[in-house]
Amino acid sequence: MKTTIKTAGKWLLGVALLFSGSACSDFLEEADKSNFTVGNYFTRPEHATSAVNSIYDNLKTTTGGGFGGAPWMMLEFGTGLANTELGQAQNSIFVRNLVNTSDNEYGRVYWVSSYKGIGNANLVIAKVPGIVMDEAAKKRALGEALFLRAHYYYNLVRIFGKVPLITAPVELASETLYPEQATEEAVYKQIVDDLVAAEAAGLPFTDAAGRASTGAAKSLLANVYLSMAGYPLQKGAEYFKKAADKANEVITANQYSLFTTYDDLHSPTKKNVGENIFMVQFATNIQPSGWQTSIIPYNQGISAYSDETGAIFANKEFVESYEKGDLRAQEKQFYYRSYTLSNDRKTTVDLGGYYIYKHFDTQAHLTTSNSDLNWPLIRYAEVLLTYAEAANEASGPTPEAYEAVNKIRRRAKLPDLAGLTKDQFRESVWKERWYELSFENKTWFDMARLRKAFNVTTKTFENFVGHKFSYGPVLKERELLFPIPTAEIRNNNKLKQNAGY
Amino acid sequence: MNNYLRRSCKIGLSLSLLLFLSQAGWSQSVLLASNVRHNSVQETTGNVRLLKDVLNEFNSRYGVNILFERGTVDGLSVVSSTISPRATLEKNLGNVLNPLGLRFKKVNSNSYLIVNDRTIKKVADTDSREQETELLVQASRQPMVAQRMPDVIRIPKIEPAERTVSGTVKSETNEPLPGVSVVIKGTTRGTTTDAEGAFRLSIPDEGAAATTLVFSFVGFLNQEIAVGNRSIIDVQLLPDQKLLNEVVVVGYGVQRKSDLTGAVGTVKAEMLQERPAASLNQGLAGRITGVNVSVNSGRPGGRANIRIRGNTSVSVANNPLYVIDGVILNATGLTNGSTPIDYINPNDIASIEVLKDASATAIYGARGANGVILVTTKRGSSSGGRINYDTDFSVGVLPKKIPLLNAREFLQVEDVAYQNAQKYDPVGWAGGKYKDPKTKRTNPLLFDASGNPLYDTDWQDESFQKALTQNHQLSFAGGSGKDSYGVYLGYRNENGLVKESYLKRFAGRFVFDSQLKSWIKVGGSLSYNDQKENQVDPLGSGGIIAMRQVLEALPIIPVKYPDGRWGGNEDYPGMEGGGNPVNILKDRFFLVKTQTMLSNVYANLNLTKDLELRTTLGTNVINQEIDEYAGRTLNYISRNQGGTAAITNERHNSWQFENYLTYNKRFAAQHSVTGLLGLAWQHVDRFTSRAATQNFQDDYFQFNNLGAGSVPQAPSSSAVGYGLNSYFGRVNYGLRDKYLVTLTGRVDGSSKFGSSNRYAFFPSAALAWRVVEEDFMKNVRPISNLKVRTSYGVTGNSEITAYQALAGMSNYSVIFGGARAIGVGTGRLANPDLRWEKTHQFDVGLELGLFQNRLSFELDYYRKLTTDMLLNAPVPFSSGYETVAKNVGSMENRGFELALNSVNVNRGGFAWNTTFNISFNKNKVIALTGGSDIFVGFTVVREQEPVGSYFGFVHQGTWSTAEESQAAKYLKKPGDIKYQDVNADGVINDKDRVIIGKGIPDGFGTLLNTFKYKNFDLTVDLQFMYGNDVLFRSQHSAEDRQGIANSFKTVLNAWTPENQNTPIAQFRPVSAGYNTNEDTHRVRDGSFVRGRNLLLAYSFPTPITNKLHLNRLRAYASVQNFFLSTKYEGYDPEVSTTGNAFDQGVALYDYPKPRVFMVGLNIGL
Repeated sequence: MKTTIKTAGKWLLGVALLFSGSACSDFLEEADKSNFTVGNYFTRPEHATSAVNSIYDNLKTTTGGGFGGAPWMMLEFGTGLANTELGQAQNSIFVRNLVNTSDNEYGRVYWVSSYKGIGNANLVIAKVPGIVMDEAAKKRALGEALFLRAHYYYNLVRIFGKVPLITAPVELASETLYPEQATEEAVYKQIVDDLVAAEAAGLPFTDAAGRASTGAAKSLLANVYLSMAGYPLQKGAEYFKKAADKANEVITANQYSLFTTYDDLHSPTKKNVGENIFMVQFATNIQPSGWQTSIIPYNQGISAYSDETGAIFANKEFVESYEKGDLRAQEKQFYYRSYTLSNDRKTTVDLGGYYIYKHFDTQAHLTTSNSDLNWPLIRYAEVLLTYAEAANEASGPTPEAYEAVNKIRRRAKLPDLAGLTKDQFRESVWKERWYELSFENKTWFDMARLRKAFNVTTKTFENFVGHKFSYGPVLKERELLFPIPTAEIRNNNKLKQNAGY
Repeated sequence: MNNYLRRSCKIGLSLSLLLFLSQAGWSQSVLLASNVRHNSVQETTGNVRLLKDVLNEFNSRYGVNILFERGTVDGLSVVSSTISPRATLEKNLGNVLNPLGLRFKKVNSNSYLIVNDRTIKKVADTDSREQETELLVQASRQPMVAQRMPDVIRIPKIEPAERTVSGTVKSETNEPLPGVSVVIKGTTRGTTTDAEGAFRLSIPDEGAAATTLVFSFVGFLNQEIAVGNRSIIDVQLLPDQKLLNEVVVVGYGVQRKSDLTGAVGTVKAEMLQERPAASLNQGLAGRITGVNVSVNSGRPGGRANIRIRGNTSVSVANNPLYVIDGVILNATGLTNGSTPIDYINPNDIASIEVLKDASATAIYGARGANGVILVTTKRGSSSGGRINYDTDFSVGVLPKKIPLLNAREFLQVEDVAYQNAQKYDPVGWAGGKYKDPKTKRTNPLLFDASGNPLYDTDWQDESFQKALTQNHQLSFAGGSGKDSYGVYLGYRNENGLVKESYLKRFAGRFVFDSQLKSWIKVGGSLSYNDQKENQVDPLGSGGIIAMRQVLEALPIIPVKYPDGRWGGNEDYPGMEGGGNPVNILKDRFFLVKTQTMLSNVYANLNLTKDLELRTTLGTNVINQEIDEYAGRTLNYISRNQGGTAAITNERHNSWQFENYLTYNKRFAAQHSVTGLLGLAWQHVDRFTSRAATQNFQDDYFQFNNLGAGSVPQAPSSSAVGYGLNSYFGRVNYGLRDKYLVTLTGRVDGSSKFGSSNRYAFFPSAALAWRVVEEDFMKNVRPISNLKVRTSYGVTGNSEITAYQALAGMSNYSVIFGGARAIGVGTGRLANPDLRWEKTHQFDVGLELGLFQNRLSFELDYYRKLTTDMLLNAPVPFSSGYETVAKNVGSMENRGFELALNSVNVNRGGFAWNTTFNISFNKNKVIALTGGSDIFVGFTVVREQEPVGSYFGFVHQGTWSTAEESQAAKYLKKPGDIKYQDVNADGVINDKDRVIIGKGIPDGFGTLLNTFKYKNFDLTVDLQFMYGNDVLFRSQHSAEDRQGIANSFKTVLNAWTPENQNTPIAQFRPVSAGYNTNEDTHRVRDGSFVRGRNLLLAYSFPTPITNKLHLNRLRAYASVQNFFLSTKYEGYDPEVSTTGNAFDQGVALYDYPKPRVFMVGLNIGL
């Protein structure tokens, strides 16, 4: 009897142990407490704001610097007007010498960051309409998303040509996970649609905090129309007209004006105001910008930054091709070739080359080594030049067109243009674009859109294909586009690489 | 909701624990009943038990070997009541044996010999030639040994003796050994020793000089002695450790080595003690075939990379699973390449078992694919109290310096570079960019009036130190047969070879085991480890770290100026201005403070005689704090930020609860069956937080007051949790101890996987045939062991990060109006179909022992095929994502492993043993998603190629003047590096990169010789590896460019018009452009032979230890890393400086390994 009890006890204990806990059917259910999922987000108005904010993040990805260079330099070295002292930055050197391949990391960053921005925009565009919130605020949120999506696609279509057009969130089972390339026509159409909608989204005309604005949407749209008028779509006069009209809307709104001094272009106190229509936002000590160490010469001891990489500077021939008396080419306007030593600010050294002053943060170099500068994406000077160029193409050199370009020239202490033929005016405006918008990631786009390159020796424009850089390499047809990144071609066999890569 | 459910689940668990506790209390009263019943059952058979059975029971209960002659114990029986289950073994033996006129002798730490004084005396007295002597038979633990010894030697009558030889046989500790068989070689004639170990034997006088006596005794190595002219022969036998320690730990149990069907390697505490090290991984290096331990850093504690039979996974962990006393260590992603095993005191280890093939690892199912390392820690004592104190002191020195430029050479290189500036940058030259460096040599702190340097600093001398280390380990172990406990304390203070680096560890552990009742045993252990390290070699860093500056600090700069200011490269204009290494070491900290608690409690219930239930609860808590500070003036490190400080806290908590039944039964003497059935739950939580700040007014605060920094950084934190639920079982079946079968299966469920694929089954099957047991082998005397075994099975790898199946969103950080705003956007592409990665492994092994196992071989061949490989597989970026966790791809490892042990000499107190092992592994990626390459670190993962393949250009030397026009096509000049235009398209770009080497060796192994003479031990331990390359990345800054920092002396061989046949480009200022790439010039043959350890030890003989009232006293001196023979020019070819899985051999500013001179003492009380 006792034996039975004892045995039973032992077994009971055993069984209890064996099966304790096995009843927890939810044991393997784990919630991620640190992160929302797409499924459980988008329930509150604040979620719309946060989701829109995420789209802005990838604007900054291509800026920056460091010992490997930075993606934005790809568009500068592609012009043949830039040089580097950073021997290890192979990505820059391959582009500069026109031996670029699809393995180039800079191109990959452009591709990836643009589509990440688009992915976040698509998520907003798909999910925010379902949030119960103030309808006007909702419309503005969607307007920002549409503007940013257009911005990213505009970069993609110009850099890579035919690209996949994704307008809705992608999941593992989506057909759009492995998309085909859309025609440039289709991509531009989407860009225009998005910008037209963004224009009407009720956004303020300007935004001092740095968010997308109606003014930014109109300015970008003007530029898009100008590109559509040129290569590859060649939509011609109609689109020049559209570009001129849209740019004129910005000009006549009287919300923007040129800075009186070039120093304001790289002054942290002039963020998002005056000439600066839309910028990538940075803030010292919080999210400082990263290109300062790239635009100073290699280890000449001029900066409070300890790393001086000389990653990019202007070709001598280009800077010396500016018109005589052009203020922009003078010391410490757009470029600098001397600076004081960091350990002895009384001694100035000749740096032996033209370094970029446009993006130079004086305070950071002198003391803080922490830059507060924004990166300009759209500034008023470009809108003026867009207007001048487009108006001339649409209806010849009108007084308004002269005025637009002469505003730029006057600031550069250059005489007004006058009495030019349409053709002369055209080239004069181009030249202003080259000189005014240098090293702002504009020039290469202009070269591709016009299929022209600027010969720094003859100071004339010649055909893109066959143009010889001042240091030797010759542009070929393939350089009208950058190669689609190798990984993307490999991962999606529906894609076709651009010719020549 | 979820939380609520989980809480209720936890309550369920605690309830069952409560039940367990209350049951235990309640069942005490039941136990008495059980004893009554037990006795009453035995009463029917007379309340007596056979002595043999009792001794067998002692064997297993106390974990010892009890040796006896069959004749001595046959027919004898014992009254059960004389056995007290709580008493010590020795007391019980005394109680049992004394009434029978027997006694026992302890022959070594865990072996006892049963002696019948009368019998042996009688044998000896009557000169046993005509006696039929039955030799010793060991009790149940080692049937193999027992059966290989001839059961009976029948000694025929022979001619009268013409000569008598006598002597004494003693153990290594000079204990007389009774019952040793002494046989004339080649005959069956012989005798056995008496109680005092003495023997007398008559041998035929004719040819007596040529007669050889063979001394054999179970548990000891045979020894042969030529008689010669001697009439007295004293012999000392050496224990056969290999045979005595034949029980190995396998997952969820123990097995006799002879019964194993799988590939399992063992390392015992004694072996670890030969090379005291800070971490288990360092100690394990070279001990086991197929286990490649690369100690990749010379820093205290090392940073070891362990691969068991190669890499099995591309994007998931390749580290083995560590199980300490049954507790699985989970934490992954510890800082700077650490693993939880680094926080276990290696002195606590009693044995390490490495499970290699699927037969052995399948019981760990989903986590067994990379092999399993089982660690058994030291327990209490079952035979009285013991106190041990082990200590060692050592000094580490730099074994080798890399030749660097001195002050004069550095300046000369700079001058020549300047002269070449015009050639390489005519535009810059014309623009006045280059200035004669001679004109800047005006700083009176550095140069004399004529521009000659004042200093010629050797930074290697300045940065390395004689690294003193002390290690103290104190243990108390006590207990009786029923209860035992142990207290283990350790203190280690290890200084690094690089100044300011150190490791300090306090470790304490308490273990307790109690045979509470005859049917229940409970116990547990609790260990606490407190470790503090300053790590000066951050992983993956190409930035300015101390070891970089050792190579790059200018020789013309002093450590400090006379006024006390630090010297730095910035003091000389135009330099890439990193600080000097001593300055960096003093002003930058990376303190890793880790507190680890590892504990487990268990209860073993004997449900029936053959059925046991074991329940264990284990926890592992790792709290790690990483304190970082970098001073306000450190160039390139923290000057831009005005000093940086950060504190990271990581908490890894895990618990596991396991219950399993073990059934062990022998049927009809032919069939032995062991069955195992169990289930387990496990949960892991990780919480991380980090706070950082910048810009200090003063370096005083370091990381101790983050509020003192004026630029706080965004804080961060994350929480991760996952659970596992498992069911496992195993059946071992043995037929006549000849044919062995093992079937294993485990079902694992993990919260990491989508609900449809949450559970997976991992089976394995194995067969072994102990050929030596076959009748036809009985007459093949030289072969003492022959076993073949084979296994096939599937194991898994689930070490992906949690939540991969969910579409998690991520944080974004953006600025509006100069302030931070938070974004929430896309994070992860969800894969609800995610499932387990599986590795299919086939293994065939052969074990061969010759000449009483004096020579033994173990040979294994395996093939591991990983399928459904978990990859962070790339997806088209157009989706807005870069990768998705996906099951794609497969990879294969094939290899051979050979281990050889040999007793070369064992006579006259001299023994020489050799251990040799070698492993070959070939790794090959079979398939990847869409065949695309994956770049991991500096290597490429490509189909049909091994992982760990370096990728880069083919360096063909430099362009010569004769090739000027050809060079110009590539925009190069004579004197530039010449790369091979692999695809001959006229440009050198990414398309010209190819596979240029591999970091994984073709073969590696160990050659270990031990020599014993009397009380001296000499160990010579050599490590070798071949077929591995090193990617010597330090060359990028120390060879490819000059004049901005110091360089390797090899640059003196640079291109000049007179010296065109050289791999080194012509000097030029760096801003004039230079080429630097991962290329074949950086790929160096990393094959090496290392003198890993040279050890001389002396064990004081018993008379001395007795006089000192000690049980054991051993002193030793050793030199670790006593030589290194390699063609590689860097510090050490066993290197990796990144955290990437396949970057073995990537050397960028590595921390050299010291040569360590050590003295130590082992004291036992």
